[in-house]
Amino acid sequence: MLLPPSDSKIIARRAEIIAALKDIVPDGVVADPSGLATFDSDALSAYHQMPLVCVLPSNREQVSAILKYAQAEGVPIVPRGAGTSLSGGALPREDGILIGMGRMKQIIEIDYENGCVVVEPGVTNLNITKAVEANGFYYAPDPSSQVACTIGGNVAENSGGLHCLKYGLTTNNLLGVTMVLPGGEIVTLGGKSGAQGGLDILGLVTGSEGLLGVVVEVVVKILRKAPVTRTLLASFDSVPAAGACVAAIIADGVVPAAMEFMDKRAAGAIESYNQPGYPQDAEAILIIDADGVEADVSHAVSRVTDIVAKCGGKTVEATDEKQRARIWSGRKAAFAAMGKLAPDMICMDGTIPRHALPQVLEEMAKLSEQYSLGFCNVFHAGDGNLHPLIVFDTMTPGEFERAEAFGADILRLCVKVGGVLSGEHGIGIEKRDLMTDMFTSEDLAQQGRVKCAFDGRGLFNPGKVFPTLSACIEQGHIHVHGAQLPHPHLPRY
Amino acid sequence: MSKADSLSQVIDFVRAAYADKAPFEIVAGGTRRGVGRPLGELPLLDVSGLSGILKYEPEELIVTAAPATPLAEMNAVLATKNQRLGFDPADWSKLLKSNGVATLAGAASCNASGSGKLRHGGARDSLLGFQAVNGLGETFRGGSKVVKNVTGFDLPKLMCGAYGTLSVLTEMTFRVYPKPGQAAVLCLADVTPEEGFAALRRIAHSALEPAGLAYLPAGMMDDIGQDGGRGAALIKLEGAAAPLEEKIALAHGLLSDALQRLEQDPFSAIGSGEKFASLPGDVWRVMVAPSDAPHLARQLNVRHWLGDWAGGVLWLAAEPAEAARIRKLAADAKGEAMLLRASAQSRMLHGLYAPQPPALAALGRAVKTAFDPLSLFNPNRL
Repeated sequence: MLLPPSDSKIIARRAEIIAALKDIVPDGVVADPSGLATFDSDALSAYHQMPLVCVLPSNREQVSAILKYAQAEGVPIVPRGAGTSLSGGALPREDGILIGMGRMKQIIEIDYENGCVVVEPGVTNLNITKAVEANGFYYAPDPSSQVACTIGGNVAENSGGLHCLKYGLTTNNLLGVTMVLPGGEIVTLGGKSGAQGGLDILGLVTGSEGLLGVVVEVVVKILRKAPVTRTLLASFDSVPAAGACVAAIIADGVVPAAMEFMDKRAAGAIESYNQPGYPQDAEAILIIDADGVEADVSHAVSRVTDIVAKCGGKTVEATDEKQRARIWSGRKAAFAAMGKLAPDMICMDGTIPRHALPQVLEEMAKLSEQYSLGFCNVFHAGDGNLHPLIVFDTMTPGEFERAEAFGADILRLCVKVGGVLSGEHGIGIEKRDLMTDMFTSEDLAQQGRVKCAFDGRGLFNPGKVFPTLSACIEQGHIHVHGAQLPHPHLPRY
Repeated sequence: MSKADSLSQVIDFVRAAYADKAPFEIVAGGTRRGVGRPLGELPLLDVSGLSGILKYEPEELIVTAAPATPLAEMNAVLATKNQRLGFDPADWSKLLKSNGVATLAGAASCNASGSGKLRHGGARDSLLGFQAVNGLGETFRGGSKVVKNVTGFDLPKLMCGAYGTLSVLTEMTFRVYPKPGQAAVLCLADVTPEEGFAALRRIAHSALEPAGLAYLPAGMMDDIGQDGGRGAALIKLEGAAAPLEEKIALAHGLLSDALQRLEQDPFSAIGSGEKFASLPGDVWRVMVAPSDAPHLARQLNVRHWLGDWAGGVLWLAAEPAEAARIRKLAADAKGEAMLLRASAQSRMLHGLYAPQPPALAALGRAVKTAFDPLSLFNPNRL
């Protein structure tokens, strides 16, 4: 992975740029090496780069002034929330200003009458739910890093989570944002009414990975917590039987709140890690949540139980909250558990049509042999979002490179069967050079022109998402060393 | 008028228009031509031949179709598998007095959702991917054919509500949803707008997943089959038999036992604007924060109106001379007044929406130019 070459002329002007930023944000400029080291990577921690300087604005006027300055001076900008991106979206540039939004973390308004909350971008995903849960509400998208990741970062990445099939991604749970455009103009897109009076620019900027501007305020929808949630653990003698069961559940009209798949290897590693009680003789396991009003959930549970039986599987239902939590604790510890299999791991993220699952699993097994590397599968089965985990050891020469090549081949396979490069982690730098496997040059040129409509000088997060002419095929992924994850306290799905 | 029945014919037409710098109007079923700024006597590109379901995969919850596929055909095919489109596409043909056929692309391009938008969102929440021809005559794709995707810019969002100003759509892939077995409409009669909308918001923010929440004032209740008194709050609930009964009981608990179950379902006429079809005057849709709906409705002070989406949208009929007043009241309430049905003269004068702030308007133009640099497609319609 290579970023576009740094501009030595900008680097030479570092002192002057720092002084200008201090004029705008007197108490929020980080320029000393030890301070900057905090920001030299996000959760794609195989890659590090010290930023030219980091600035931490406290309000939208400061953001606007910073962007106006950067625009006038031709200095690249990299926006950052909490730095939990798994695809390198917030990787700094040697010649760029890193603009960290963590100080803007006020919950501005909770509006139960309209079912929404107005927040600054640095509020964490989980703090939105915490602010409203006493009244029986929650914010639906639940990326696994929700304790740390910010809503601004969620907007930038269009973050998902376990419950997307039923409740959608970030984009489906937003009513509006206020953002600062690269030229410093402040625009409001949507709001409590959701109306935009023109093109759906809100939809476009959601998931734009920091390429189009900086979000300074967000209006999210909140939902009433479902009165009843029940959890089933289903086990199968074969992977195709589990795949067929997922399809049959969907075809029956049941929309589970969550439906997670894991293969035998994943279940084994998890069981030895935190003993959630997964059957060890099964080839595949599904964890299924149904939520809603009592009768809806009873209906769903009885349909799912019947369908699992017809597919040759066995179902166990969690009898109480404690057992529910235990079943989910295993799934949520999947990444950490894999760390026990080998010193290092990368987590991939692609979506496939569910019917292609048996074929994809078979071809992944062949790739595993070809690259002589182990892997296991966890999978948001309801929406076809795969998270293959490749285990390796960086101390063995060539293994990291082989792991990356294996990962890239898995993503190409996802595209080949009709799927996509990313279901929820984003492209960033990690998958940038694979974009040509999914999109034609016309497709990419069209997206490039949209980028230009916002950022004619190409100053916003350069080198991310779109491949450059100098592209190298080397890829980066979430990198775990010695069973230590970046942000080790966060569960990873 | 030129007819394009295939992708290659669309490309040929657009390339010729590009070479001649000749703008044109894109027409499929033709039911919504009377919405937005009139285009005058531009040449027509008739894409009604780009019709038919291309691939339906009920187990993947997706359907791919040609853009001019009639909504009725799509609904019928999905119903065979107990599924439906998520955005409750609204057919405006009765309101706009059109004999045309409402199509998939027409509904999505005009963001036309009925009362059921409450349940699964608008067209933008359901359009997963598309193929189109841009203003350079190039074919491109946006999005994908899977239900969860964050790869590249989310161009499908832009296509919804663009009124055909960005591209000529040639293929669309939608997420589909299970169709609940049964539905019931409950009525809370003889309530003021304040009481009625408050009741609707209570249901909106419950776990009942309502499929319709409308308020009908006196004079708009001719089709509910009972005396609504000062006004009626209508609640549509869905589910299989037992869950539906439970939801009805819960709704009674949340509101009052005065809820009556209606024999008929007035929501189709509410969501499609059909209730305004025979009323004189211009027809507006005003989107507003739901809690502001009763106050805004009183300020608007028109004889014929109703509220849908728990107050998130007010429909009203008004004299053409009222346009500036309506726009101002909507803007003061931080809402948006869309002029849906009006004379060509009114539409030319007032546009579909109020002018945007300068920075946002400039951004919108830049995005339009990114797709259609010569402004060939439906110029100035938005």
